[in-house]
Amino acid sequence: MKIIYLIALSALASVGILRAQTNAPNSNAVAEILALVTTNALPPKPTPPHAPTRIDSDSADFDLNARQAIYSGHVHVDDPRMKLTCARLTVDLPPTGGRINHIFAETNVVIDATDEKGATNHATCDKAIYDYNVQGVMTNETITLTGNPQIVNAQGTNTADVIVWDRANGHVHETNPHMSGENLDGAGANTNGLPAPKLF
Amino acid sequence: MKIKFNKAGLVALVFMASCLAAAIVRAQQNSAGHASDFSSVEYFDAPHRQQMKSRLSGAEASPQAGGLLAIKQLKLEMFDTNGVTEAVVEAPDCVYDTMSGVASSAGHLQLQTGDGNLQIEGDGFLWRQTNQWLTISNHVQTVIKGALESKTDL
Repeated sequence: MKIIYLIALSALASVGILRAQTNAPNSNAVAEILALVTTNALPPKPTPPHAPTRIDSDSADFDLNARQAIYSGHVHVDDPRMKLTCARLTVDLPPTGGRINHIFAETNVVIDATDEKGATNHATCDKAIYDYNVQGVMTNETITLTGNPQIVNAQGTNTADVIVWDRANGHVHETNPHMSGENLDGAGANTNGLPAPKLF
Repeated sequence: MKIKFNKAGLVALVFMASCLAAAIVRAQQNSAGHASDFSSVEYFDAPHRQQMKSRLSGAEASPQAGGLLAIKQLKLEMFDTNGVTEAVVEAPDCVYDTMSGVASSAGHLQLQTGDGNLQIEGDGFLWRQTNQWLTISNHVQTVIKGALESKTDL
């Protein structure tokens, strides 16, 4: 048993020497081991590609000068993280390779979103505005619900004059909130305690 | 009869309006009043005169009464100054009013940006050249790839 152990040790040692000799400029054994570890490290988990967003409607107008699309009648938006229906949807079309930074949904807006934990959120309002912009290193991404906005989720039903989902910071801000249902800590006050569903 | 009019600088086209106007002019000049497998190219102004701005092609173009032009298998390609395709518009049938600069059809329309990130299609359309306004009347379907991804997704 000891002989086998010794043979194994000597073999390992000789391998190390050989490697050290072969890689003369980088003969530091620790660095070599680290390099091996680094080389054999599992690659970072690839981010799955974001499925396309689909918009269906009865009709649409495209203002190519203003780069704006206006969808009308039975508008359905199907995004991997949410579904939205409304009567009229205005989208600022991005330049080639760009990102949509402004969407305006109006009339009978219904949004069904599932957050990263699988919890469902059902929102209704008269108007919903999605805004995205980057200022320096700050990313601002909000969805503002106005016109009798209401969110129904596992925590209860929330209504307010204005509800702003701050996607970048994971907060929900409400102006003059009215809440009912379970787990309503601090009801009646402006709260950031609501789960922040990721719409769009 | 097959007519090709692909000469550089032949016509200055701005989307369908001037493209189709050029097409009808050529068709009339060829007496039959009918063109097939045609294409027409517009080039940028200086300093990009060698670069195509747009290329309009079609299987058939027939003059109609009232200054109308019926186009079959319309394909319009638009390019940037680097030669990269910005958008491709295709419609199996189209009628262009040479007087008002309006193109319309009850048929299908398909539009795709050069990078493929935006695809729009629908049935029945009206294109007003004067204000670059496109209306699709029915069954509008839009697919947008990657346009709503954000850093928070990563």
